Amino acid sequence: MIKAVMVGQPNVGKSSLINAISNARLHVGNFAGVTVEKKEVELLNNRLKIVDLPGIYSLHAYTPEEEVTKKYLLFEEYDLIINVVDANVLQRNLVLTFQLLDMRKPTILVVNMIDELEEKGGKIDAQKLSILLGIPVVLASAKEKRGVEEMVELILKGFKCEWKIYYNDKIEDEIEKISSILNNHFQNPDLSRFYAIRLLEKDEDIYKIVHDLPIFLELYKVLGESIKRLSIEFDIPDVRDLFAQERNALAKSVVMQVLTPPPHKESLTQKIDKLLIHPILGLPIFLFFMWLIFQITFQVGSLPMEYIDQVVNNFANWLKTILPPGDLNSIITEGVIPAVGAILMFLPNILLLFLGINLLEQTGYMARAAFLLDGFLKRFGLQGKAFVPLVSGFGCTVPAYMAARTLKNPKDRLITMLILGFMNCSARLPVYVLLIAAFFPAYNAGNILFAIYITGALLGLIVAKILRTLLFKGEPEPFVMEMPPYRFPSLKALALELWYKAKIFIKKAGTFIAGAAMIIWFLSSYPKNPSLIQLYEQKMESAKTIQEKKALEEELKAKLLEQSYLGRVGKMIEPIFKPLGFDWRLSVAVVSGLSAKEVIVSTLATLYAVGEENEKGLIQKLRENIDFKTAVALIVIIMIYSPCVAAMGTFYSEVPNWAWRLFYTIYPNVLAWILAFGVYKLLERV
Amino acid sequence: MKLTQLKVGESGVIEKVVAPEPIKSRLFSMGITKGNRIKVIEHTLKKETWGVEVEGSKIALREEEAGAIEVKND
Repeated sequence: MIKAVMVGQPNVGKSSLINAISNARLHVGNFAGVTVEKKEVELLNNRLKIVDLPGIYSLHAYTPEEEVTKKYLLFEEYDLIINVVDANVLQRNLVLTFQLLDMRKPTILVVNMIDELEEKGGKIDAQKLSILLGIPVVLASAKEKRGVEEMVELILKGFKCEWKIYYNDKIEDEIEKISSILNNHFQNPDLSRFYAIRLLEKDEDIYKIVHDLPIFLELYKVLGESIKRLSIEFDIPDVRDLFAQERNALAKSVVMQVLTPPPHKESLTQKIDKLLIHPILGLPIFLFFMWLIFQITFQVGSLPMEYIDQVVNNFANWLKTILPPGDLNSIITEGVIPAVGAILMFLPNILLLFLGINLLEQTGYMARAAFLLDGFLKRFGLQGKAFVPLVSGFGCTVPAYMAARTLKNPKDRLITMLILGFMNCSARLPVYVLLIAAFFPAYNAGNILFAIYITGALLGLIVAKILRTLLFKGEPEPFVMEMPPYRFPSLKALALELWYKAKIFIKKAGTFIAGAAMIIWFLSSYPKNPSLIQLYEQKMESAKTIQEKKALEEELKAKLLEQSYLGRVGKMIEPIFKPLGFDWRLSVAVVSGLSAKEVIVSTLATLYAVGEENEKGLIQKLRENIDFKTAVALIVIIMIYSPCVAAMGTFYSEVPNWAWRLFYTIYPNVLAWILAFGVYKLLERV
Repeated sequence: MKLTQLKVGESGVIEKVVAPEPIKSRLFSMGITKGNRIKVIEHTLKKETWGVEVEGSKIALREEEAGAIEVKND
C-alpha cells in the first residue's frame, strides 16, 4: 500500500480533493481551519492511503492544529507528499512548497481551483512549473473533478523528483557547513540538509532532536557562527527573515514565468465586501443574517411538525394492534415510540439551523463575521477567530471544542472552550421549540428563539471577560486571519451534508435516545403496586359519575408514577430544584438532559403525558403543570448547565489538566442554578 | 511609514515587518513579506481591525499587527 500525505496551506481544498477522488465525506468549508485533525482515507481496494492533514501556513507551526501537521510530517512514516496549492494565490502557496521541498521527500504539486483562475482569464503553465520545481505538477479542480484521476495515476505509477531549489550561494555555503556535521551522525545528506535549514531558521522541534546528540557541541558552535555571518552579510537581524525573503523572491520569479495573470478588474468578492464588511452597515447586516437563520429555523421548521407527529402516532397505534398485548407492547408503543417521535418532530428545525451554519461556512462569510466581531470580542478578552468555534457551537458543541484548536494561545483556547457551552447547541433546539410553543405567543416565537441564543452568547462573553480578568491575565493572542473569496456553495455538497446530518440525527433518536427513553419509561412504570391499583379500582367501581371516575383514574396514575423508581429518585433531587419552582418531574427531566439534551423532551413526554392519546397533549399538559416563571427558569437552566456527556468527554480529552476539568464540570451548573433562581424571583415580583 | 497611515484604497510596497515572533513568521507565511505590494481594503469604524490585500489574498488583522508593517507609499 502506498501512503500519501496531503499537505498545503489552509483552505486550498485538500479535503475537497479527497472527497472528489473517494467516496469519503470529509467536512469542507470556505475558511481556514475547517480540518483540525488528521483523517485517513483508503482508496482503490487499499492500494492507496491518503492522510488529510490540517492546513499549515508554514513549517513554523503557529496553532495546535498546525502542530499536528508538522509533527506528522517530521516524525511519521509515509511514502510521498501531495502538496496542494491554490491556483489563485500561487506565490504565497509556493513559499510553503519550498519548505516542503527542503525535506527532499517524493512530492507532487497539485494546483487546485484552476477552474476559478481560468474563468477569470488566467493560466498556469504546468509543464514549465514542473521543470522549474523538479517535481510533477497536476492542474486540478476538486469542484469539477478535474485532474484528480491524473493525480492518482501518477501516484500509483511512481514518479521521479529532481531537487532544483537552491537558495542564495552564501546561504547554501552555511547550510553545507552545518549539514556536513549533521551528516556525520545521520548518514543521510538530504535529511542533514533539511535539518540544517530548519536549525538556521531556529526550529525548536529540530533543535530538540539534535540537542542530545554527541555532535551537538560542535554543531552549536558552527551554527552560531553561521547565523552571525549571515546576519552581517545580509544586514538582517534575524535569519528567519532572510529565509522568508529568499523563498518569497523565489516564488515571485517562478510565478512570473508560469502564470498568465487574469486581467485586472474588480472581482465579485470585492463588490460584495464593499457592503458586507462596510464599517457602519457590516454589523447590522451580520445581526440580520443571524436573526434570519433563527426566524427561518422556527417558522419554516414548525410547518411539517404536525405531519410528522401524525405519522408517528399512526405508526404507534398500528403497532399496538400488531404486537401481542403485554409489557413489550406497552414499552414500545407507550414508552419508546412517543419519546422518539417527540424528538423526530424537530428534525426540520435542526436541519434548517444546520443549513444556516453550513451556508456561513461554505460561502466565506464566516471569516468576514470574524473580521466584524473582532473589535467587539476583544473587549471580552477574546479575538475574532474565536467566532468560528463559537458559531459551530450553535450546531454541536463537540466539533466546536475541536475547532478551538485553531486558536494559538492556550489561554484563549481554554477560555473559548469554557464558554462554548453557552452557545446553545442544536440538541437544545427541540426543548426550546417545545417550551416556546407552550409558553409564548406564536407570532413572537422566532424572536424568542433568537433572543435565547443571543442571551446565551452574551452571557458566554461576560463569563469570558470574568475568566480573563480573574484567572487568565495577559493579552489575548493577535488576530490574523485570511478572508477567502466568496464562493457559491455546491448545492450537491450542501444537500449531501444535510442528508448526512439527518441520518445521524435519526440514528441518534433511534438508538441512544430510544434507549434513554426506554430506561425512563421502565423506571417510571415500575415497581407496580397491586394493592394501590386494587384500592383505586374499588373506588372507581363505586364512583357515581364518569367525571368522578376519570378523576380517580388520573389520581391513580399520578400516585403510581410518584411511587415508581423514577418518582423516588425525583423526590430525592426535588429539594435542589424546588426554589426554582420545579416539581420532581422537571427535576428528573433536567438531570436526564445530561445524557443528551433531546432526552429532556422525551422524558417530559413520558412523565407528563403517559398514555395520552394525542401528542398535542404534551404542550397542553406542560401548560397545566408548569407556570410561566418556572418555564423561564427551566430555559435558563438548559441554556447554561453542563452540556451532554459526549461534549464533556471531548472537553476532557482536549484539556488534559484536572483542575480545569473539575472547574468545567462544576461551574456551569452552579451558575445555571443561581441565574435561574434570580430570574424566577424576579418574575415572581412582576 | 506604517501601514495604518494609509487610507482605504491606498497601497504600498512592504519594507519591513517589525512584529515579534511568532507573529512575524505568521505574517510572512501569509505573504506579508518585504517586497510584496499591500493594499488597504477596509477597516472597522474605530480602525481596530484592518482588511488588507497582499499578492492576491485578503487578510484581516488587528491594529497592532497592521501597525507593525512598514511600507513605502507611492
